[in-house]
Amino acid sequence: MAPVLPLVLPLQPRIRLAQGLWLFSWLLALAGGLTLLCSGYLLIQLWHLGTFLAPSCPFSALPQTALAAGAVALGTGLGGAGASRASLDAARYPPWRGVLGPLLVAGTAVGGGLLVFALGLALGLPGSLDEGLEEGLGTALAHYKDTEVPGHCHAKRLVDELQLRHQCCGRHGYKDWFGVQWVSSRYLDPSDQDVVDRIQSNVEGLYLIDGVPFSCCNPHSPRPCLQSRLSDPYAHPLFDPRQPNLNLWAQGCHGVLLGHLQSLASTLGSMLAVTFLLQVLVLLGLRYLQTALEGLGGVIDGEGETQGYLFPGGLKDMLKTAWLQGGVAPRPAPQEAPPEEEGPPEA
Amino acid sequence: MALLKVTFDQKKRVKLAQGLWLMNWLSVLAGIVLFSLGLFLKIELRKRSEVMNHSESHFVPNSLISMGLLSCVFNSLAGKICYDALDPAKYAKWKPWLKPYLAVCVLFNVALFLVALCCFLLRGSLESTLAQGLKSGMKYYRDTDTPGRCFMKKTIDMLQIEFKCCGNNGFRDWFEIQWISNRYLDFSSKEVKDRIKSNVDGRYLVDGVPFSCCNPNSPRPCIQYQLTNNSAHYSYDHQTEELNLWVRGCRDALLSYYSSLMNSMGVVTLFVWLFEVTITVGLRYLHTALEGVSSPEEAEGESEGWLLEKSVPETWKAFLESLKKLGKGNQVEAGGADAGQAPEAG
Repeated sequence: MAPVLPLVLPLQPRIRLAQGLWLFSWLLALAGGLTLLCSGYLLIQLWHLGTFLAPSCPFSALPQTALAAGAVALGTGLGGAGASRASLDAARYPPWRGVLGPLLVAGTAVGGGLLVFALGLALGLPGSLDEGLEEGLGTALAHYKDTEVPGHCHAKRLVDELQLRHQCCGRHGYKDWFGVQWVSSRYLDPSDQDVVDRIQSNVEGLYLIDGVPFSCCNPHSPRPCLQSRLSDPYAHPLFDPRQPNLNLWAQGCHGVLLGHLQSLASTLGSMLAVTFLLQVLVLLGLRYLQTALEGLGGVIDGEGETQGYLFPGGLKDMLKTAWLQGGVAPRPAPQEAPPEEEGPPEA
Repeated sequence: MALLKVTFDQKKRVKLAQGLWLMNWLSVLAGIVLFSLGLFLKIELRKRSEVMNHSESHFVPNSLISMGLLSCVFNSLAGKICYDALDPAKYAKWKPWLKPYLAVCVLFNVALFLVALCCFLLRGSLESTLAQGLKSGMKYYRDTDTPGRCFMKKTIDMLQIEFKCCGNNGFRDWFEIQWISNRYLDFSSKEVKDRIKSNVDGRYLVDGVPFSCCNPNSPRPCIQYQLTNNSAHYSYDHQTEELNLWVRGCRDALLSYYSSLMNSMGVVTLFVWLFEVTITVGLRYLHTALEGVSSPEEAEGESEGWLLEKSVPETWKAFLESLKKLGKGNQVEAGGADAGQAPEAG
């Protein structure tokens, strides 16, 4: 059985491998911690903006997966740091011998799998944000007036606070408000002719006006906010349409929210990529260190040269050994020790 | 009769010195905390100095900053002294400085206590500064084309939105000033002319408020104009309507914000003061205990530590005597509060 990708490791390179591995493990732990924080922050932002994202939008899967991947990367980094530190000290290594094997398997399978999955989500999911926001914002604007309808009574407050905090108006601009009835029917005077005319002027019987809520107002405007009769150029004295319009917020909330969430997702994606690279490096280094030290039979300070390898044999040999092991295991007395992890025993 | 005498053997002295060393370094951290609290308060006051007419008093944050710095300096020095106290040779060079140093520490503790009190007591001056500043701020709300005041509208609007408040004491303050600039008034309209003629100063007063007073929690779209006219709006009663605008005045909102900031800083400062008093007391005990071990042979033996050599009235009398001798001009030594030097010259 020829080992896969063998590397001869005398004492000095072994020590340098362990030291470099210690440094990279701490870097991996740092990257994992930062990924945790970033995905936690994104989760909190999504929780606040929950009403404006359609429930069918799968975007929240990204921070949840990134959270798990970051936690596993953090654990792998800490474990790798401890193992590489212990491998330099003969007295501390024996307890780590048993831990290294499961740590490597967990790190590769669980950690690597989660990271690849999260990276894939980071690349694919932000595209679905567009429709999710479109639908969510549309619903929120439509329910702005429903302040007594259970389930939608917070829509007005949330939309107002969104427009105030993110400095935006409507979905794509202030004219979106002209197409929705945002004044509740409770506060419409049925005897007012203007109200009756407006309601009868459209098919659905909605009270549509060319005005916007107060939260669209821009405080930077030099004149007090003009909220009503915005389509009528003669309604407000001294209104100069040629001047840049500072009266209302010019941006639509769709664009603002999309940019905000997409930038957060791309930051998270780049952090996941860095964590993935570091994790691959750390796991490879740990594997080489482990097999090299097994070659010495667990005696760290041995001056001899050993070989580190990725796998003891090629893929076919591994499968054959695994099959044999599966066949041998049910017998009462195992005839031979599993040939996998132990090198030639030092007599 | 010494005050609060405690006997120290070698081990206890060493433990006292080590404990004091650790406490001094923790106190350096506490000094850094005080410094950053003072800096934070200063930045918060600066951020809103426009609505306080740029005349707010920076006494509290400045004193917190300086106390934090002084605490760092004194406590790192004390830590060095405690570290050297275990080695008689190194300690010998600190010995003559310890008594004046302890006196300075006592003064520092008194000053720290006063600063902590100031954190709690100075909200009265802040209240009057805020009232004045908000009044003039609202007066300049409409001057968006006057250089130097053109940002007042934006500042007041953002303030009312952020602190969820309206006007100085309430929204009715806006009824008494002209907050709409003359540039946007149509002087050919009869309504405008009537309003301007209706008061002595010729101002355009409305019973309306800016949009930033609106409360998003209201179930109906915000009513900003004709607030006292029930018939102008459907199903509206201005006496019972509470959710339409923010009811709180901005002076009240800002005052409670700054008060809670300063109160919590005052509590932290009191804790730091208690810590510093403990350190000073411990340092005094260490000083007197090591005084008792003047010769190297007695280094292993027991010694006594105390706070004051004689009881309080006797110490006070000795202190006054030494001050009188100073006043007579007989003493050459500078740094007068050193009662121990009086017998040397005499």
